[in-house]
Amino acid sequence: MKEYVLLIISAALVNNVILARFLGLCSFMGVTTRIDTAVGMGMATTFVITVSSMADWAVGAYLLEPYNLWYLRTVTFIMVIAAAVQFTEMTVKKVSPALFQMLGIYLPLITTNCAVLGVAILLVEARMTFIEATLFGFASSIGYSLVMVMMAGLRERLSFADVPRLFAGAPNGFIVASLLALAFMGFSGMTS
Amino acid sequence: MNEAEDIADFSAPALVEGYAQVVALEGNTAWLVPEQTSSCGGCSAATACGSKGIGSIANRLEARRFQLVNDAGLRVGDRIVVGIRENALLRASLVAYAIPLATLLGAGVLAQWLFGSDLITLTAMVSGLVLGLWLARLRAGRLAETGDLAPRFLRRAGMGESCNIG
Repeated sequence: MKEYVLLIISAALVNNVILARFLGLCSFMGVTTRIDTAVGMGMATTFVITVSSMADWAVGAYLLEPYNLWYLRTVTFIMVIAAAVQFTEMTVKKVSPALFQMLGIYLPLITTNCAVLGVAILLVEARMTFIEATLFGFASSIGYSLVMVMMAGLRERLSFADVPRLFAGAPNGFIVASLLALAFMGFSGMTS
Repeated sequence: MNEAEDIADFSAPALVEGYAQVVALEGNTAWLVPEQTSSCGGCSAATACGSKGIGSIANRLEARRFQLVNDAGLRVGDRIVVGIRENALLRASLVAYAIPLATLLGAGVLAQWLFGSDLITLTAMVSGLVLGLWLARLRAGRLAETGDLAPRFLRRAGMGESCNIG
C-alpha cells in the first residue's frame, strides 16, 4: 500500500504534469481565467486521463507488446484517447442531457491536450502494472486539476489588481505560472 | 434604493453567466442554443484546431439546445444572458465524473488487494465504472428534478455584448 501512496504523491505533486513536466500548458493558460471553468475542465480531464490510462495500458500490454508494435504507440494512444473522449461525451449525454449541456463544452478540448498523451506514454515506458498505471493516471490528473484551480483563483484575484497595462492579462499569468512552478519545486526530493 | 441594497451581497451564490440565442418558440417554452464561448470556437486558432474535427461547431451547439420558460416575451433571434449557480456547475461535475471515478478506483484497489491479477483488476474496474455511471445517472435525475441544473433567464444581451473576452 505504501508504494501506491508514494506513487500518488509523486505523480500529483513532485512530478506535477503542468508545473514539473510542462504538459498541458495550452489549457493551463487558456481555461484558467475563471474558477468554475477550471473546475469543469479539471474534472473532465481527470475522468478522461484515468479512463484512457486504463485503455492505453491494456492496448500496450495485450496488443503492442505481444506483436512487438511499440513503434506505433504514439499513433495508437492518440486514437485510444480520442475514443475515450468520445466515450465520455456519449456517456455524459446518456447519463444526463442536463449535465451534458453544462459540461459538454470541455470535452473536445481534452482530445488535443498533450497531458493526456504524455501520461499514457510515461506509464507504458515505466512498465507499470495495471493498478499502478491507473493510479498514476488518476494522480497525475488530480495534480493537473489542483494546479488549474489554484491558477484560476490567483488569476481571478489578479484581475482586480492594479498592475501596469503592459503586464495585465497573459504576461501577468506567465509570471504567476513561473512562481507556482518554483513553489512546486519545493516538493522535489520527497519521492522519486 | 436604500443603502443596504447598494452593498454587494458576497454571501449570495455566484452565477455563471452565458449567452444564448432563441431559435424556436413552442407555446410558453423558448428553445435556446448557447453561443460558443471564448475557450473553444471563439479562439483565433479555431480553424486549425483539432477539436473542430469531432463534429462541426454548429452540430455541437445544436446538441446543447436547451429550453427555458418564456416569461419575458422572448422572440426568435433574441440574444439573452442566462445564468446557472456556480455551485450547480461544481455539483454537476462531481456527479458526472467523481462518482464513476470513485467506484472505478474502489473496485480496482479492492480487486488488486484480493486477487493481485492485472486481468481481474481490469475487469473489476470496468464493472466499477459501469456501476458508477448508473449511480451518476440516478443522482443526476434527482438533481434535474429539483431544477438545480436548469439555466435561468437573467437579462437581454445588449448590442455588441459578447462572450468572447479573449
